[in-house]
Amino acid sequence: MISDAPALQRSSEPAESAVAPSRLSRYVRPALGLLLPVTLALGWELVVWLGWSNGRLVPPPSRIFATITELARSGELVRHIAATLWRVGLGFAFGVIAGTLLGAISGYWSLARRLLDPTVQALRAIPSLAWVPLFILWLGIFETSKIALIAVGVFFPVYLGVMGAILSVDRKVVEVGRVFRLSGFAMIRRILLPAVLPAYVVSLRVGLGLGWMFVVAAELIGASEGLGYLLLDGQQLGKPAQILAAIVIFAILGKLTDWLIEVAAAPFLRWQDAFGRAKGA
Amino acid sequence: MLALARVSKTYPNGVQALARFSAEIRQGEIIAIIGGSGCGKSTLLRAIAGLDRASSGTVTLDSEAIASPHAKIGIIFQEPRLLPWLSVADNIGFGLADLPATERREKVARALERVDLADKAQAWPRELSGGQAQRVAIARALVPQPEVLLLDEPFSALDAFTRRDLQDHLLDLWADTRPTLILVTHDVDEAVVLADRVLVMRPRPGRLFDQIEINLGRPRDRNSLLFENFKRSVLTSLDRSLDRSVPDRDATQGPGQAMWW
Repeated sequence: MISDAPALQRSSEPAESAVAPSRLSRYVRPALGLLLPVTLALGWELVVWLGWSNGRLVPPPSRIFATITELARSGELVRHIAATLWRVGLGFAFGVIAGTLLGAISGYWSLARRLLDPTVQALRAIPSLAWVPLFILWLGIFETSKIALIAVGVFFPVYLGVMGAILSVDRKVVEVGRVFRLSGFAMIRRILLPAVLPAYVVSLRVGLGLGWMFVVAAELIGASEGLGYLLLDGQQLGKPAQILAAIVIFAILGKLTDWLIEVAAAPFLRWQDAFGRAKGA
Repeated sequence: MLALARVSKTYPNGVQALARFSAEIRQGEIIAIIGGSGCGKSTLLRAIAGLDRASSGTVTLDSEAIASPHAKIGIIFQEPRLLPWLSVADNIGFGLADLPATERREKVARALERVDLADKAQAWPRELSGGQAQRVAIARALVPQPEVLLLDEPFSALDAFTRRDLQDHLLDLWADTRPTLILVTHDVDEAVVLADRVLVMRPRPGRLFDQIEINLGRPRDRNSLLFENFKRSVLTSLDRSLDRSVPDRDATQGPGQAMWW
């Protein structure tokens, strides 16, 4: 809609000239997305309530909710969530540190990229779950191997994101730094870092998503606590409501942590065209 | 004084972009460099800026050799090249990082006034129009008070009205500290409006073909007959430079003097 504005209005703010969405469409559009899941949930609730199905294998929402509150009341839920969050947090931290360092080195020095990148790419081609037996042999069945697996999952998207972002920094912007005679360190701090930040945040979010994926795998393999353990326990004891409860909590935690990254990064990315503006439209 | 002595540039692929370009430019002079495409005018400008090293020959500013970007030489590119993550004010102050904060703020505020963008100080670059963005770029380059300001087709991406406006604006800003201006352009009108001296270059390899003094007072009336005359002589020279049957002459020696080779 910006391009529709007459050319002579150049000096006016393009954002302001855009027609503000009406209140109706602002609230109705997200609500449309909720229509299907809510209808299905209520429908299933009704079916079970009417006795048309016993809901044993597919428990209705009320029973899932009851399972969650029950777990919460006994303190079990907090213990499992804490265990999982701890693993994801540590694995994510290690993965991000390693991915950022190596990605930055590969992006910045072409010699390091030639030495390092082929190996990393080859390792990336290995399905990460294939490491599980080796990690268990090396690091034991307990926390270390789980955290290592999560870190491996987080490492690759962060490494690729950082390296790619550095390689694609606009040469013209770097030249501005050269014109103002920025030294190596000042060039990194004042030009490269801010230029790389948007892509870095994206890679962190992708990495976090993979971290959540791998924590499930790690906890399914062998754990005595954690949300993944709840999944396995629910399967073995035939408690589908517990499995679905764990899945719901995974969804909530995943979305929440992703949102945390987004919120933490937002003040640094206000300058971007896409941020905030796209949401208003 | 800025002295260019037989500056040549051959790219690694063997293309000779610039051949033995010599010129002497007085402090405060406004030079326009004009020529057909591929005549090496941007190459020359980048060599003066210290962004690319010449293959041979020297660029000296007040007898100091220039091989890398220099504090006394600023450059404005065809695109504004503002840093999108900095506010307009921070973009203008980008080259003043060494100054104490209060002094920097003062200089930036003054520069913002001078380019009529005081109300945009806290805006992001993306919120500016093309002309406003280029004005910020001009302010950013002028705020460290360079002795030489290089301009690489700075107004070519703008519409005719904005371009005219910015040409006048540039002259107005130039009058503050009177730096040497070296302007690469493909717009004859622009060259004659701004320059004291127009250097005409000839392509393949890029070399100096002719120079024309624009002996016109300022401000210049774009519609006067005299202005038209100067435009015509630049155009004629430009046409001759593209005509392969016209031989080179040593422009720096002026007419009537023997060629040194």
